[in-house]
Amino acid sequence: MRHYRTIPGTIFDICNCLFLGLFALAAVLPFIYVFAGSFASDTELTRRAFFLVPERFTTAAYEYIFSTDTIVRSIGVSIYVTTVGTLINLFFTVTMAYALSKRHLAGRNFVLNLVVFSMLFGGGMIPTYLVVRELHLLDTYWALMLPGAISAFNLIIVKNFFQEIPAELEDAAKIDGCHDLALLWRIVLPLSMPVLATFTLFYAVGHWNNYYSALLYINEPSKWPLQVILRQIVMLSQMAAGDLNAMDPNFEKPPDQSIKLAVIVVGTIPILIVYPFLQKHFAKGVLLGSVKG
Amino acid sequence: MRQAKRWAAILTALMLAVSLLSACGGGKANDPGSGGDAGGSGESRESRTETGESNAGTGGDAKAPEPEPPMEISIMLPIFKTNYPSDDSPVVQEINKRANVKLHFEWVPNSSYTDKFNITLASGKLPTIIYVPDVKNPNFVNAVRAGAFWEVGEKMKNYPYLSQANPVIMQNSSIDGKNYGVYRGRALGRNGINYRKDWLENLGLEPPKTIDDFYNMLKAFKEQDPDGNGKDDTYGMVLVKWTGQWASGFDIIKLWFGAPNKWGVVDGKLVPEHETPEYLEALRFMKKLYDEGLINQDFAVFDSAKWNDPVVNGQAGVIVDVTDNAARLDDAIHRMLAEQGKDQPDVHFVDNMIGVVGDHGLRALPTSGFAGLLAIPKSSVKTEEELDRVLAFLDKMNEPEMQTLANFGIEGVHYTVEDGYAVRISDTVKLESEVEGLNQMLPFIPEDQGLKVKQTPLRIKTEELQKEAEQYVVPNPAEPFISTVYSQKGQQLDNIINDARIKYIVGQIGEEELLKAFETWRRSGGDDLVKEMNELYAAANR
Amino acid sequence: MKTASASASAEAAEASVRAGGSTRWGRLWKNRWLYVLLAPGLLYFLIFKYVPMWGVLLAFQNFSPFHGFWKSEWVGFEHFRVFFTNPEFFMLLRNSLILSFYNLIFFFPAPIILALLLNEVRVALFKRTIQTLVYVPHFISMVIVASLTYVFLTTEGGLVNELLDRYFGFKISFLTDPAWFRPIIILQTIWKECGFGTIIFLAALASVDVEQYEAAIIDGANRWQQMWHITLPAIRSTIVILLILRMGDVLDNGFEQIYLMLNPLNREVAEVFDTYVYFMGITQGAFSYSTAVGLFKSVVGIILVTLANWTAKKFGQSGIY
Repeated sequence: MRHYRTIPGTIFDICNCLFLGLFALAAVLPFIYVFAGSFASDTELTRRAFFLVPERFTTAAYEYIFSTDTIVRSIGVSIYVTTVGTLINLFFTVTMAYALSKRHLAGRNFVLNLVVFSMLFGGGMIPTYLVVRELHLLDTYWALMLPGAISAFNLIIVKNFFQEIPAELEDAAKIDGCHDLALLWRIVLPLSMPVLATFTLFYAVGHWNNYYSALLYINEPSKWPLQVILRQIVMLSQMAAGDLNAMDPNFEKPPDQSIKLAVIVVGTIPILIVYPFLQKHFAKGVLLGSVKG
Repeated sequence: MRQAKRWAAILTALMLAVSLLSACGGGKANDPGSGGDAGGSGESRESRTETGESNAGTGGDAKAPEPEPPMEISIMLPIFKTNYPSDDSPVVQEINKRANVKLHFEWVPNSSYTDKFNITLASGKLPTIIYVPDVKNPNFVNAVRAGAFWEVGEKMKNYPYLSQANPVIMQNSSIDGKNYGVYRGRALGRNGINYRKDWLENLGLEPPKTIDDFYNMLKAFKEQDPDGNGKDDTYGMVLVKWTGQWASGFDIIKLWFGAPNKWGVVDGKLVPEHETPEYLEALRFMKKLYDEGLINQDFAVFDSAKWNDPVVNGQAGVIVDVTDNAARLDDAIHRMLAEQGKDQPDVHFVDNMIGVVGDHGLRALPTSGFAGLLAIPKSSVKTEEELDRVLAFLDKMNEPEMQTLANFGIEGVHYTVEDGYAVRISDTVKLESEVEGLNQMLPFIPEDQGLKVKQTPLRIKTEELQKEAEQYVVPNPAEPFISTVYSQKGQQLDNIINDARIKYIVGQIGEEELLKAFETWRRSGGDDLVKEMNELYAAANR
Repeated sequence: MKTASASASAEAAEASVRAGGSTRWGRLWKNRWLYVLLAPGLLYFLIFKYVPMWGVLLAFQNFSPFHGFWKSEWVGFEHFRVFFTNPEFFMLLRNSLILSFYNLIFFFPAPIILALLLNEVRVALFKRTIQTLVYVPHFISMVIVASLTYVFLTTEGGLVNELLDRYFGFKISFLTDPAWFRPIIILQTIWKECGFGTIIFLAALASVDVEQYEAAIIDGANRWQQMWHITLPAIRSTIVILLILRMGDVLDNGFEQIYLMLNPLNREVAEVFDTYVYFMGITQGAFSYSTAVGLFKSVVGIILVTLANWTAKKFGQSGIY
């Protein structure tokens, strides 16, 4: 559509691609280190500060990780919470955002003020914990999914996207006898796929990376999501030798550096994979031809 | 069409209602259902004792005519690995059997333990025994002062092991002069010097005895190519950025010069350590070491997780730290060499010592002697009889067989005995899911009398060293005091001194500005702190 | 071509028509489905945000978790007094604001520019690959980032300094020199968050009506003009809203990153409210104190957000409302 060549245009394209390529390389290099390091031996990691290919390849770290239930189960928990949690997020966010996108709705501004205010002022950890406890949600997966059901920030942006949708589309549908629910479901949502894909991703990443909720609300170790374990391992190797005072006097050594890297790989790859699948929704031309004249 | 949409709406609303209801229902289903309070499974389980004392298994004491049902005890402990022993691990079962208890563990990743601890206090749902990491944590102190925990100091005297508690440690772990938990004992004399013996020997030097010897050793490590690889890539001592409560190298070294441990006593009054001339002398020494390149030049940003690496890698020769680190360093060096095919399994590369001598004799930095308390909340242990049973359990855990059980597991299953030492099986996963972590609940009073890991000469020496060091430790006279000024401004005050001394060492400021910083410390609340500490000191020594 | 404001006013004009009917109840009934849609979210905010709101009052107490809310002693504005009279207060304020400001100037445009550049790429496969790769750093734990920063920038064997030393004969103490602290933080942030930040702009760009480009080409617009007149306006409202919301966070600096890069030698530029509260929390176990500081931040945040929103409206943008 926009393809026509000019010399400056081509030069720009080449420079652009070069720049993007370099930036992507810089972005991914440390991850290659983490990935390579997870397959290296601990002594090699001590010896070499940074490398991209291990001298000796070993899967010891992964064998350790997958040999017990703990990490495997926590991955399962994370997947469950992320999937169901994101669906809950989308449900709550989209419904409310759509309702709030209608400027003519009575009470809209009041509710919006509530939302914005709550974004900046909050009760904090203990009161929220007490609410969760009173609702009998402690030690359940709901405690990981409900307290964060809507992010006010996301809500406002989705609402703004809905507001951008040309009014003519909605009017046309209304004339055909559609009421608001149908409008949302059959017209607005299909048009908002890029937005929905974006916030699906944001919420999913949020769930996947969240360890704090589990820490507060879950006592039962079998319900720990992966991030709790991951953080534990990473923090453990951050401890200074002096801290060992608190530990087993017979304690031999902190977890291998390679295990730390392997857990990071295991914790990152699943969520990384989600993005390419959502990318097709970022395709252009969704609005093509929908509004004439 | 419109009908269908209407149904869709009703269905959505119904789904919502159902999900909310099931949230409540699901929550209830998970609730163990002991009466009265709301809450998740973080509750403690009450026990019903029938008669008074219990001391199942040790015999000799007054036994109840019928065996009592095992007491249900829930314990909240930190876990340092990712796997943890479950309540039905065979080792736990064995402990249950021998101590006549039914244990339930609430494991918390240690990296988040403090947060969880605070939240647990707030929730009011405490386990039978809870590990308290920092006895001075204001939340804990407030709770203690409000009567949340049993005072156990007096009671401990009634038990065979607990009565052997070290009075110095009891004092260190006290609040307002009383003890509100059983301390978890750790070696007092843990700090010293770890150094590369092979380097010393390569250079034909003897282990240092005086501070000057120490200096010469560092210099030689830097200048004389101790690892013999022909490259000028070695230096003396490695220091890290973290100058926290336990041994920063500097805090150990300053004692050699005669400086006090945090607070000194001059003319019967408490004086902060940095106001003593010996402290300044020690600082000048550190600066000299830095200026001559005998310490890693980027120590101020050096990650404490990597502290051992330069010694293992052959870049540095000395770490001033806990002496049991020597064994770890040694193992790491062996592993590295083994990978390169150059190992000499019978040689020890690392050695350790208590310290070197200046004009003030041998002085060592003690640890506080304990690592947290095991406290017993009144909300979960309601009567004195129950308290006695809990204490009896903790006392029993000091028996050598019980210590071995919690440390190593079951003989033949998790370890074998060779020459009187325990050798763990190599299945680390099995160990972690059945045994490792259980020793977090051991008070080690009076000490660890269980089986030990195979003792290399280095380990044997380390143990003797740590015992010997106890005679030379310089205690902090203000250790048990809880200061309000410190809890408000402590962090800031510490920062002033710490930042100043590091800047001085690396040469960002000179001695004049250093002294000015000490003045600032005084003005920013140091004055009040000294006053308050002296009041507490006078009151305690009346 | 419709702009946001044009459609806004058009909608407002028709609002009363759509709202239908003269009675208030009539209007409510007409929009009943909208209220049904509003209900779940509203319930959520009430239960999980407003019921716990009493926690804000902790700032006026000496809260002890064991005593709970009702039995902890009340201290009025004591915490605020301690906070504001703290001699380091201005240093903290200055550091927090400057870091935020740098962040706004250098980091905020970065994802936008990256998104625009990506938008210009025509080979779909290349574009998708780059997109996926640049979003990886977001997932790398900050601890690793700090650790790698050390490996590259330390004066003892760090890669950058080794090169500098070999070719130019000098080294730079990146990690301890206060002058380098802020640039390093910003560079880290850009590296880590730029890719992830493009997602929302790419979504906005994807919603642009393709026909507009075609029309522009027919009118003879070159690529630069296309970007200026079509692409940018399309994401303008997104940019504005993000900017406004960002104002609410102006005193938040990302605790973990600063904590990891902080050391005694750069503390005078590195210490911000977030790290300060953390360290206070350790010695004090102070819920109350950190709540008080948080309250201060919230008040500042809401003032700025309201100001920003008002300013945006003045320029004809739609703002949050």
